[in-house]
Amino acid sequence: MRITLYSSKTVMEFSGFHFKSAFTFAVVAMLTLCSLSLHAQKIAVRGKVLDATGAPIPGVTIKVKGTAVGTITGVGGDFQLSAEGNSILQISSIGFVSQEHAVNNRSVITITLLADSKSLQDVIVVGYGTQRKEAVTGSVASISGAKLNEVPSANISQALQGRVAGVQLTQSSTKPGATMQIRIRGTRSINAENDPLIVLDGIPFGGTIADISPEDIVSLDILKDASATAIYGSRGANGVILITTKKGNRGQEAQISYSGYYGIKDVMKYPMMQADKYIALRKRAGLNMNPGADEDISGATNTDWQDLFYRTAAVQNHDVSVVGGSEKGSYKFGAGYYKDEAPIPLSQYQRFSFRTSLDQQIGKLFRVGFTSNNNYSITDGASLGMYGVLSMSPLLNAFNTDGTTKRVVSMPQDNQWVYTKQTLGNLGDKYINRTKGFGSYNSAYGEVKIPGVEGLKYRLNLGANYITGNTGSYTGIGVFSADVANPNTASISNSQTTQWAIENLVSYDRTFAEKHTINAVALYSSEQISYNSSAIARRNLAGDTFQYFNMGQTSTGSNDDITIDPNNQSYWVSGLMSYMARVMYSYDNRYMLSATIRSDASSRLAEGHKWNSYPAISAGWNIQKESFMKDVHWVNNLKLRVGYGQTSNQSVAPYATLGRLSVRPYNFGASNANGYYVTELPNSNLGWEYSKTQNLGLDFSLFNSRLSGTVEGYITKTNNLLLSVGLPPTSGVSSYTGNVGSTQNKGFELSLNGVIIDHKNGWTWEAGVNLYRNVNKIVSLASGQTRDESNWLFVGHPLNVIYDYQKVGIWQANEATAVKQYEGSAGQVGMIKVLYTGGYNADGSPTRVIGPDDRQIINADPKFQGGFNTRVGYKNLDLSIVAAFQNGGILNSTLYGSNGYLNLEDGRRGQIDIDYWTPENPGASFPDPKGPKNSNNPIYGSTLGYFSGSFLKVRTISLGYNLSGKWAEKVGIKKLRVYATAQNPFVFFSPYYKQSGMDPEPNTYANDGANMAVSYGYGQRRLLTVGYNTPTTRNYLLGVNVTF
Amino acid sequence: MNRNYIKFLGLSVLAVFFLSSCKKILDENPRSIFTPDYFKTEAGVQGGITSCYGHLRLMFGNGYFLNANQISTDESTWGQNSDGNVKTLDFSGVGEIQAQTSNTGVLWGAAFPNINTASGVIENGAAVGVSEALVAEARFFRAFDYFLLVQTFGGVPLDLGAGELKFNTSTIRTSKRNTVPEVYTKGIFPDLLIAVDKLPASGRVTGGATKTLARLYLAKAYLTYAWWLQNPNNIPTYPAAQRTDPNGHDASWYFKEAYNVAAAGLESPGSFGLQPTFYDLSLGSNDRNNEMLLYADHTQASATYNGGDLSYSTGGFSTDSFAQWFEQWNYTNIRTSSSNTSWSAVSSVQRAATQSLGRPWTMLAPPQGVFKNTFADKSNDSRYDATFVTRYRSNWKEAALKVNNAIPENLYNANFLPVANGDAILSFLNEDVEGVDYSNSKFNSNVGAGVLPGRADFVIEPSAFSRICYPANWKLGPYRTDNNGGLGQPNGSLTRPFPIAKFSELFFIAAEAAVKGAATRAIGGTYANDGTARGLINVIRARAGKWRFDNGNNIAKVQDNSAAMTAATPGSIDIDYILAERSREYFGEGYRWWDLVRTQKWADYGRTFVIAGKTNPNDWKDHTVGTFTRNIAATNYLRPIPQSQLDALDMTAAEKKAYQNPGY
Repeated sequence: MRITLYSSKTVMEFSGFHFKSAFTFAVVAMLTLCSLSLHAQKIAVRGKVLDATGAPIPGVTIKVKGTAVGTITGVGGDFQLSAEGNSILQISSIGFVSQEHAVNNRSVITITLLADSKSLQDVIVVGYGTQRKEAVTGSVASISGAKLNEVPSANISQALQGRVAGVQLTQSSTKPGATMQIRIRGTRSINAENDPLIVLDGIPFGGTIADISPEDIVSLDILKDASATAIYGSRGANGVILITTKKGNRGQEAQISYSGYYGIKDVMKYPMMQADKYIALRKRAGLNMNPGADEDISGATNTDWQDLFYRTAAVQNHDVSVVGGSEKGSYKFGAGYYKDEAPIPLSQYQRFSFRTSLDQQIGKLFRVGFTSNNNYSITDGASLGMYGVLSMSPLLNAFNTDGTTKRVVSMPQDNQWVYTKQTLGNLGDKYINRTKGFGSYNSAYGEVKIPGVEGLKYRLNLGANYITGNTGSYTGIGVFSADVANPNTASISNSQTTQWAIENLVSYDRTFAEKHTINAVALYSSEQISYNSSAIARRNLAGDTFQYFNMGQTSTGSNDDITIDPNNQSYWVSGLMSYMARVMYSYDNRYMLSATIRSDASSRLAEGHKWNSYPAISAGWNIQKESFMKDVHWVNNLKLRVGYGQTSNQSVAPYATLGRLSVRPYNFGASNANGYYVTELPNSNLGWEYSKTQNLGLDFSLFNSRLSGTVEGYITKTNNLLLSVGLPPTSGVSSYTGNVGSTQNKGFELSLNGVIIDHKNGWTWEAGVNLYRNVNKIVSLASGQTRDESNWLFVGHPLNVIYDYQKVGIWQANEATAVKQYEGSAGQVGMIKVLYTGGYNADGSPTRVIGPDDRQIINADPKFQGGFNTRVGYKNLDLSIVAAFQNGGILNSTLYGSNGYLNLEDGRRGQIDIDYWTPENPGASFPDPKGPKNSNNPIYGSTLGYFSGSFLKVRTISLGYNLSGKWAEKVGIKKLRVYATAQNPFVFFSPYYKQSGMDPEPNTYANDGANMAVSYGYGQRRLLTVGYNTPTTRNYLLGVNVTF
Repeated sequence: MNRNYIKFLGLSVLAVFFLSSCKKILDENPRSIFTPDYFKTEAGVQGGITSCYGHLRLMFGNGYFLNANQISTDESTWGQNSDGNVKTLDFSGVGEIQAQTSNTGVLWGAAFPNINTASGVIENGAAVGVSEALVAEARFFRAFDYFLLVQTFGGVPLDLGAGELKFNTSTIRTSKRNTVPEVYTKGIFPDLLIAVDKLPASGRVTGGATKTLARLYLAKAYLTYAWWLQNPNNIPTYPAAQRTDPNGHDASWYFKEAYNVAAAGLESPGSFGLQPTFYDLSLGSNDRNNEMLLYADHTQASATYNGGDLSYSTGGFSTDSFAQWFEQWNYTNIRTSSSNTSWSAVSSVQRAATQSLGRPWTMLAPPQGVFKNTFADKSNDSRYDATFVTRYRSNWKEAALKVNNAIPENLYNANFLPVANGDAILSFLNEDVEGVDYSNSKFNSNVGAGVLPGRADFVIEPSAFSRICYPANWKLGPYRTDNNGGLGQPNGSLTRPFPIAKFSELFFIAAEAAVKGAATRAIGGTYANDGTARGLINVIRARAGKWRFDNGNNIAKVQDNSAAMTAATPGSIDIDYILAERSREYFGEGYRWWDLVRTQKWADYGRTFVIAGKTNPNDWKDHTVGTFTRNIAATNYLRPIPQSQLDALDMTAAEKKAYQNPGY
């Protein structure tokens, strides 16, 4: 028997050295599969499945009763299988009433399926199990893979945006391959990670959402409230995304699918000032009266550096999968390739992925399975930014008289290496910046039914992940530098992550007396993640040929050229142990109760504070099942849900309890030394941050299920917030990590889905809309403090605030006296006017000049957000539109503010296009270039970056056509769909778009120095901003999905 | 079958037990960071002391720190390219000093963490067997920081959260300021007395703290405290304190002690002394010479240990050295002609990493009084020549500038006269002269410079020195040995040690104490003199009269004008003469604001100044001369506590208000 392959050695290895074991397991499982065989005496049966209107239904599962033989209907509703003449076919499809149909030795069969008015038989994944949708008591939002793939995308985060109420996806980078920031029901933590847990096919996933191919997804379920997430404990504190991937069905013939698209990108340019306007601004500013040596102030030269820089970029995605099954098992293989080019030359992302899963029943009691997701990615040119391009003045002539491109151009005060498509293209071996990443995410399970106790099962889940990254970069002599002799530099960095997880589960699932359904799960799990990275840099390499590949080849031989910065080396290990028990009870499908208790222990917290236990409970009532609802026919389903639960969060960096010394390198003449000083204090009381959530929800389905939806409300209170607390300089130490304060999120969510036209004359029209509002506020801070001005934390205000002056206008010509009273001697007409909050003298003049006391707390959170989608189908043609919207909130664009250095208003470097104040143009919203400066920017320049965050963005418009016909069947095509999609085609209602013509979504974290000249502190990282990251594009795609 | 499944189940259960015993996954063993426990080892204590030296870079070499100690004095005003950070501290009607935006907080942010580090070293040092001499280095730096703080902000906290002068590891977010006399008598004098006693005569490391250095600071602290006790111009202090000494001494006692400690330093200089000429003192190739008692060191060998990028520095508020850029103007605007018949402009003086050039930021400009009064004597006194860049010399060969595809041998400058590479293209004249043609009509210098008949170089007279074009500070300019015949890396962080304390200052301290009434005595040893203020100052002036090299003309010049220099010293020296002499000796190095605040002469000295470019400071050709006035209040003698400190305090608005110095 094959099971003997599970030698004692193997199992021991699972607990000790898991990675190797996962492979052993895979090999075993594959051998198992290969040795299976299929043989029976059969006839060929062909047929068609139609709905009540006679329209074909694709995707219907047809099984031969009592066997593992089965198939799925194609686009035309057709199917073909082999069955014995006296067998019975079982036909099922979601949304239709299942039926059985005898073959009766027919070789051609037509079957009509009736729509199921209660499409509530849908199964929802609830974590460590599934539930029928009608039995779910927690807050769970689901979306099918088909719906997700209406938005062709590199990763699910883009496809999810605007699709699910309460799930906010925000762009945090526009670089190729970047993922989005996901927030489920708002931000709870200040310091801790707010990213949700991803669970892939039942096992917590160590990778990011970018590691999962959207094509592979069957359904995605999002657990939003604590009663639903409690089973995942601390890891589910920020919500859980459960992803179910495609699997073969038992007895299914091999099915091969290909899906792919190719698209070109249309760049949304940064709005830079053109020559004539720029000359006028420089003149008005008056600071740079001598033009640079390469500038032409006649106005005849108007160089659009972006036009010289961007390339035509393309995006493409190809995905092939094979699914199938045998008598007692199923399998899946998939491979994908994705390439995303940025408009920035040399900058691109490529990903090769391979995934496989196997599932095998062994005997009557055992089941084993194995899933492996592997990605290999190459990121090129990530170090290339936009500032060098955008900061060049339009007056510069890029070319020498002989037509060649200049190496360096001179502006009034700056010399700039010339960034164009051509100069970058000519670099050849002189430049490389490449990151290679490999991630292998593997899980395996073994399940056994305990004989003698019906419904009792034991399951062992094993996870083993290995992630490695290698970045190398090389910049040749003089490259990107005004100095032709600037030494070359090379650097390499490597990182490795290993992660293992073991979960032991005992579950019991049984229905008594037809009405009492019990599902109980007990879990014991542990996991550990280890991370290690190292980096080294060197200058004066022997030549361009070596790049970073041999850093020992040097032109000087000096060890002083080597940099091993201790801050760039890292090592940490973090462990988590947990116990969990959950009982779900349902009476007559009318009353449901779910109760969970979980204990977690984290290595990251202080001794004596590592363990934390917490409960969750939820209940549901299917009202329409009550007798008094019997005659209310227009209600198909009405369910009330109520839940309460706790979760906790351990997300502080490992070793945060121990304190930290910072390294301060120094040289005593020719001898080097490292100094140390305390920057982070230990905290021996650091414990869990935990949240308590109350949730109330109502699910409904009305008018023959034509309209369905959910209304939900919740309150989440988070206590003992983990925060890196900045200390005043006089304490002598920068910070410590502590449990400080509490926050609250209150929210409301609404989703509606309607079928407006239901298969009438070939037409269908469906629409969905979701809307949600989350109100976040800080309830308390440490030691009764109400304001933490240096961390921008204020009791009674949301976590996302901007603490700054508030611009109220521009000082006008008739306010010459007043501006001196408010701004002191630096005050000038034409400068930014900000809100003054001080008192007034008897003569109406202010008692003081404007200062730090006038800073305002400005709420940056949106008022409400949501999305809508609609799909119109006519016969084989369909058109779908997906849109997302946001109302209110603040978009901080550092391009316009003072952190970006593109709005210096001094005519020194490239300038973003603005309408500025002059005596002749008093209505302008940007200050007079002649006005006073603070650092390099206009005084209060940061206020120029704040825009209303409102927008409505059509994310995709997709037109698809499902091809079918005899020819298709002849070549074995079961399904063929072609489509054309426009991504990001329109933006409406966005003041920022109106100002700039740019995407109103953020593209960078506030502390990312690569995308702004002066980054915000780490404490402000949570605020997403628009900086000069890779420009956003509108993409036009053509795609095809085909199944054989 | 059955047997197998039992085996499988059994092993799974075994696995559970195996894991249950595996509680060690909850333990933590950091392997890439140091935790504060490391501070309790000998190596950790050593590292703490290294960190004390390292923290000097956060201030000395930082342009904004230099700015705060230069601007609004008689030595400096804002330059054409100045931003609000600079202008708000000039008090000349271009901005208000503010807690949030004025860069007076550089010191505050650098000092307290270092005080804490020093306290940690002092507490742990003995326990881990570190020598007293080593611990004395930490004591020196703690006193050094408190001394800078008390001069700048008034009274500051001695208790960082764990008790007075204790190593703080508590997370307290409140703070209480001590008074000025408490800071001196508890925080500064005791540490410096131990430092004088225990520090070695020669540094443990290159640039290490020594007995002589400790003497200098002890003498200076006594002197400064004596002035504070005396308070001749009635400058207010904060937090409120009586002008009486807790140790029961009076101002004259401290003046006397200042004199005695300085005199002791002069008589036993150890390995220190005066350089033969003033030029040698600041010459890049002579860095770390025996006159330098303390500096923030840097190196061109390694960016990591230099604390700043060697190729392109962003000039941030960190360990970068970029202060020199503040007083360098944008000389790259200078143009010369490639033709001797029609003006065909080429850039003849390009950015280079040489001591005269470097990176131009044009943030600090010297008023004309510097050239007309302070450095009136430019022929006997070598200090003018060795302080300023008076000639901007061409470097087109290093820049590989091509005319018609070849690097030319000659270019044509004023009067179409030929100039060779390395020749002066622009000269700042010593005196105003007649007949300078500033029209730039035929020979367009592009920087508003003038032409004198028969001269190939453009010239500018002292009365035309403006905010956009003026002689830069030569002493602090870049010096690197890796230019390889090219321009080098002028945009990189500076790699020279930034000077903090010099042996020469002992003469000035003793002289100032003498002027303030300290009993004098004859000084013996190498620098023997009669010990009077005049006698002490004349040692300095005699050295200033010695020439080895003519920096402006770039030629050797051996000359000894010592006799003329000492003869010119007035018979009776007052505080104003001391201050003038200090300005000649330490111009532009960040001494001036403290000197003027100590002697309570700031409002006086800063009140008016003259500079060209009155009509439009951005216009190179604007040579109109303006007289500007400053309005410096008595409360401005104390800088505002930085807003970042107030923001981070967990105290009420009223308490924060009381924590702030009056007037802000």
